[in-house]
Amino acid sequence: MFRILNIWFLSSFLVSIFVIIPILTVFLSFFENTSDYYELLKNTFLIEYIFNSSILLISVLVLTFIIGTGSAYLVSFYEFPFSNFFKWALILSFAVPPYIYAYSLTAFFENYGTAYTILKNIFGDGNYNRSIPKFDGMLGAILSISFSLYAYVYILARASFLYQSQNLIDLGKNIGFSKFQSFYKIILPAARPAIVAGLSLVAMETLAEFGAVDFFSINTLTTGIYNSWIAFDDLAFANRISFFLLLFIFALFILENLSRKNAKYHFNAKGGFKQKEKNKLFGKKSFFAFAFCFLIFFLSFLFPLSQMLYWTVKFPENLFDLKILELLINTLYLVSLSSLILIIFSLISNYGNRVSKNKALNFMSTLSISGYAIPGVILAIAFITFIAWLDESVIKTLGFLSIKKLFIGSILGLVLVYFVRFYSLAFNGIKSGYEKINISVDESAYLLGYSKRKTFMNIHIPFLRNSLLFIIILISLEIIRELPITLILRPFNFETFATTAYISASEDLLEAAAVPALFLILIASFFIIITSKYILRETNE
Amino acid sequence: MSKNFFEVKNVDFSVGGKTKVKNVSFVIEKEGDIVCLLGPSGIGKTTILRTIAGLEKISGGSIFLNGKQLSSENINIEPEDRNISLAFQDNSLFPHYTVEKNILLGSERNREKKENKISLKEIVDLLDIFHILNKYPHQISAGEAQRVSLARSLITQPDLLLLDEPLSNVDQSFKEEIQVRLKKILNKLKITTIIVTHDSYEAFYLGSKCGIILNQELKQFDDPYKVYHFPNSVEVVNFLNRGILIPAKVTGKNTLENWDLGTIEGNFIKQYPKGSNVQLLLQPEDLEHDDKSNLKLEVVDRKFRGTNFIYTLKTSSNTLIPVFVHSHHIHQHEIDEKFGIKRPIHIDHIVCF
Repeated sequence: MFRILNIWFLSSFLVSIFVIIPILTVFLSFFENTSDYYELLKNTFLIEYIFNSSILLISVLVLTFIIGTGSAYLVSFYEFPFSNFFKWALILSFAVPPYIYAYSLTAFFENYGTAYTILKNIFGDGNYNRSIPKFDGMLGAILSISFSLYAYVYILARASFLYQSQNLIDLGKNIGFSKFQSFYKIILPAARPAIVAGLSLVAMETLAEFGAVDFFSINTLTTGIYNSWIAFDDLAFANRISFFLLLFIFALFILENLSRKNAKYHFNAKGGFKQKEKNKLFGKKSFFAFAFCFLIFFLSFLFPLSQMLYWTVKFPENLFDLKILELLINTLYLVSLSSLILIIFSLISNYGNRVSKNKALNFMSTLSISGYAIPGVILAIAFITFIAWLDESVIKTLGFLSIKKLFIGSILGLVLVYFVRFYSLAFNGIKSGYEKINISVDESAYLLGYSKRKTFMNIHIPFLRNSLLFIIILISLEIIRELPITLILRPFNFETFATTAYISASEDLLEAAAVPALFLILIASFFIIITSKYILRETNE
Repeated sequence: MSKNFFEVKNVDFSVGGKTKVKNVSFVIEKEGDIVCLLGPSGIGKTTILRTIAGLEKISGGSIFLNGKQLSSENINIEPEDRNISLAFQDNSLFPHYTVEKNILLGSERNREKKENKISLKEIVDLLDIFHILNKYPHQISAGEAQRVSLARSLITQPDLLLLDEPLSNVDQSFKEEIQVRLKKILNKLKITTIIVTHDSYEAFYLGSKCGIILNQELKQFDDPYKVYHFPNSVEVVNFLNRGILIPAKVTGKNTLENWDLGTIEGNFIKQYPKGSNVQLLLQPEDLEHDDKSNLKLEVVDRKFRGTNFIYTLKTSSNTLIPVFVHSHHIHQHEIDEKFGIKRPIHIDHIVCF
């Protein structure tokens, strides 16, 4: 118990070190020399990159706030037709990554696209292309990202609304607030931490977004990183832009923390909590609530799904050209291997933190979970930078064979970077499971004669079983949708649904991208549906 | 090596680097004895139990159990290797196991023990938890959870059982019955036990020895009778709420004099020289009511306590004195009325400071 250097401590320490390496690489490489491209870019595009990233970020945050909070408020406080259905249907948008949404948007509104075909079938031949709006460029990127990511805000805001006591609402009525005043002055401020947490996730994902912005040819910091690496083979410069992007992300975190000051948002769960009563809506109000939720559900999920389905049916040859089984096996292979490794090491790390109660280790763990905030593109490039450095400076100096092939363009490298990227998901998921186990439970086990290993295996693992299942599915969902890391680090000829869709789309073969995109949406939807109860936090475990 | 079954020797008990109780020493001479530690909340009673269990370490002194050193500055036997069981005050049941499974996990520890073995049925009957055996911890009340935790600790039949406020959440109506059953089973199984409580009556009933912890010290460690009747310091008197201290002057071998009450006689616990000014402990049962007495005090308050009333009386020097009167006493005094005190005043054990 008091031996600090026990196996649990060491294991958690090593896991944390491993996850921190790419983050350190980015920071350290900031001080390296870059090619002339940096000077060129600094004087030309860097401002544009930052400007575009900022515009994208602000617009997406505003839109996701309105959609996410509005829909969460309606389904949490009111009863209207299909309100129970929308409760979980609104999270299905997670199954549609922004880049697939971007394909659907383009496919529908482009010249002679689906919208044109619909108008032609209804009204006959005509020059409709002029009247059909074009959602491309920045607007397309904003819509694609917002409709794909608003669910972060929706889920967290809804969870917060769900746990708001009826007493709070009654208090508003008692003071004489109207419904709008209650929402504006009581409900919304009380849910603020949850909404801000949701918006922070949206912000990170938006800054990290690669597929959709690349498709719409928007130059952001993320695409800048990718381009400087692909087009100019300048890793140091890619890292330098990454550094700026990380500063951007950390600034967001700090702003969010400062904005909270000392405000308390939590209510004592013991006593005083009264289950909320939902208001039943009638007439116009009921219709508008339904229409709002349906519109969001349609735009975020049904629209891209039907567009992809339409193309799959329209061009069935793509279905037969594609090696679906192989893509499925590749995707599942990556998912299961990564989940297994993530779960095992996150469990060890969490337990190590729990038993060693070491402050340094705790700090390391906190730092190591920031991997989720770092865009996949940065992580992939930082990983390559690190391996290249290790290979040149250490391995070859010691006279060993190059390790580049082992880690770059291999499943091992891919899984390792997934590990860094999604470590916080697994770590935090298990941590929140662990928070439900009082420390005196461990102590009781020791006092019953259980060793630490036995306590871990016989007490903790069975308790965390459901949490683990949920985390596995969350990780799977992320990996299925993940694009930049897979694109950069995958072995030659190794494709997933995501990379196949991206490659077809980047070759302007949108109809060919539809089949893998459709499969991706269906598999992801399946995962979302089976875990919707957990995602919506309607169960305690 | 200690000759006593259990010994705590000059130990500072601390948690998170902060000392809670200093320089504690006490012994449990025989296996099977029950010791109770009494003290107000937050004083460090739980820290003492956690340290004995091995969950906190010590920086000096020693703890021995059955001749074996468990803790010292350099030695720390892991909790799982001590064969000491601790029933926590809060719910420390395994949340994903049923009540029955929770209890049975405890029985794995001393499976090989053959003599005096207690069965699940006995424990379940003892603590009256049969009806919740198949429930999960979140489905039972706090009092029931406490009984289950107690059952799990009892079934391990440890060398030393530590109970942290074991009945604090149990209903008052059921508490006394459980106390009787608990004492019976602990005696039957000869389980040496340290009980931490803030309920002095529980401690006096269960413990063969009681320790009073106040102001970071173990103030008194003695038989319950002696702790009750012969508190060794003003702090203990105040903690046990045993009465009030009034000024008096020693006038003889068995007498003292108080300005308001006059002569008081009885047996001194500790002798003082004639003429000494002392503080006399006056307990509610020390004074007797007598309507015919000429020593009259003014009633300022009256509390009904079921079998008796406690009158608070004001003397001419404005001292407030509590007095017990049987509740069947025919004449009930109202506030501001005069109340007679029987003279001469005789106190069996005179405690002075």
